[in-house]
Amino acid sequence: MYKKILVATMGEYIDEIIDHTLDIIGEENTEVIGLYVVETSVPFLTLKKVKELMKEELTKLGKEILDSMEKKFQAPHRYKINFRKLLLDGDPSEEIVKTAEKEDVDLIVLGTGKNMIDKRLLGSVSEKVVHSAPCTVLLIRNEMKTK
Amino acid sequence: MLELVIFILLLIFALIIVIKSADIFVDNLIDIGGALGISQIILGVTASAIGTSLPEFGSAMIASLSGNVDMGVGTVIGSNIWNIAAILGISAIAAGVIRTDSRGINRDSLMTLITGIILIVFMLLGDINWIASVTMILLYLFYLWLLIKSQKEYKKGKDKEELANEKTVKQPVDKRKVLFVIIGLAGLIIGCRILVYSGVELARMAGIPEMIMGLFTLAIGTSIPELVVTLSSAMKGLYELSIGTILGSNTFNILIGIGMPALFMSIPVEKLSLTFDAPVMIFVTVLLLFLVKTRGKLTRVGGIILLATYIAYAVIRLTVLV
Repeated sequence: MYKKILVATMGEYIDEIIDHTLDIIGEENTEVIGLYVVETSVPFLTLKKVKELMKEELTKLGKEILDSMEKKFQAPHRYKINFRKLLLDGDPSEEIVKTAEKEDVDLIVLGTGKNMIDKRLLGSVSEKVVHSAPCTVLLIRNEMKTK
Repeated sequence: MLELVIFILLLIFALIIVIKSADIFVDNLIDIGGALGISQIILGVTASAIGTSLPEFGSAMIASLSGNVDMGVGTVIGSNIWNIAAILGISAIAAGVIRTDSRGINRDSLMTLITGIILIVFMLLGDINWIASVTMILLYLFYLWLLIKSQKEYKKGKDKEELANEKTVKQPVDKRKVLFVIIGLAGLIIGCRILVYSGVELARMAGIPEMIMGLFTLAIGTSIPELVVTLSSAMKGLYELSIGTILGSNTFNILIGIGMPALFMSIPVEKLSLTFDAPVMIFVTVLLLFLVKTRGKLTRVGGIILLATYIAYAVIRLTVLV
């Protein structure tokens, strides 16, 4: 049904996201793009070296997350999946939407599970993506958090 | 009234100069260190802790040398209480959780606690003199040595290939960077001088003790870098940087922020500092350790407890004990 899927994660709910995506794909030939966005925005008066350190650490984390995604999507029995990694810098919701438009994907898969307080304080990437996505969006609810 | 507004604006202006100068100074100093092949000495969390603490150190140093010792000591102790109780409290509330399960955090929190106890011991012995100063500076050097050692051990565990890529090669020092180090240092000194001057004048105009000015206005103002680093890194999930910056800053504030001025002059101990402010500083450190040890992380509830403790301290200090 979906030929090209964008799977975006910030590291949370990664297992649930992968499992649900694999369920949807089934035995179909599908192109999957794994996306991690390094959030580069920092407040005014942040030390330059600290800003560099944050970017470095988040890039390292992003690579690890994408590698673990690659392992699952590229397992030998999943030969029908064509997986690609994408590591970008910027605002996560903006980059997810931009990538979906540029790559012309059919589906965006994202995790969600923040409570009301977290949404207010930290903001919600999934909410922003849902409002401006050019295609269908699948939100994977984190069961551990919502229980 | 106009005079009051001018001095408040001057204080804000000085704070921005101090923080930006500290940034320029640390940034270029580390780059020069890198060119000389010694960049690995001050890295990551350590650089963040020292860089964010330079405004407190500069203010304490300038205040003490210009005869406003109470303000200097107040800035250091006030910053340490604010850093743990308010900044970590606010960060834990905003981020929801700050995980604290790394070995580095255990080492740094223990060091922060030991440092606070050492300060109280020296305060009990009377004025903080050059013997206390040398002890504190040597202790900080020992702590730096521990950090370098643990960094080397960490590197040993890395892939050889990765190590080869990271190998630092000596390069000629960029003269512009040396110039920026000097500009940063000059900005730090001038900014701190203006900051202390405006702080002293504001205290005089408002009729409040210099100690209070140091404990709250200067302490909170000079801790803006800690606030932005700790809060943003906690929200990005970089917990070690978040809590490590606070713990490293507190250790630096006491051992260098008080230790260095005490090398030049004996620092008198104000009674309330010894009987209330310093014990509160130890208390919030112990409270933090208790909160993180029981669950292996600082939760939102823990953050609320810390922030409430700071509010209670500020209310008591500003209303009952002035």
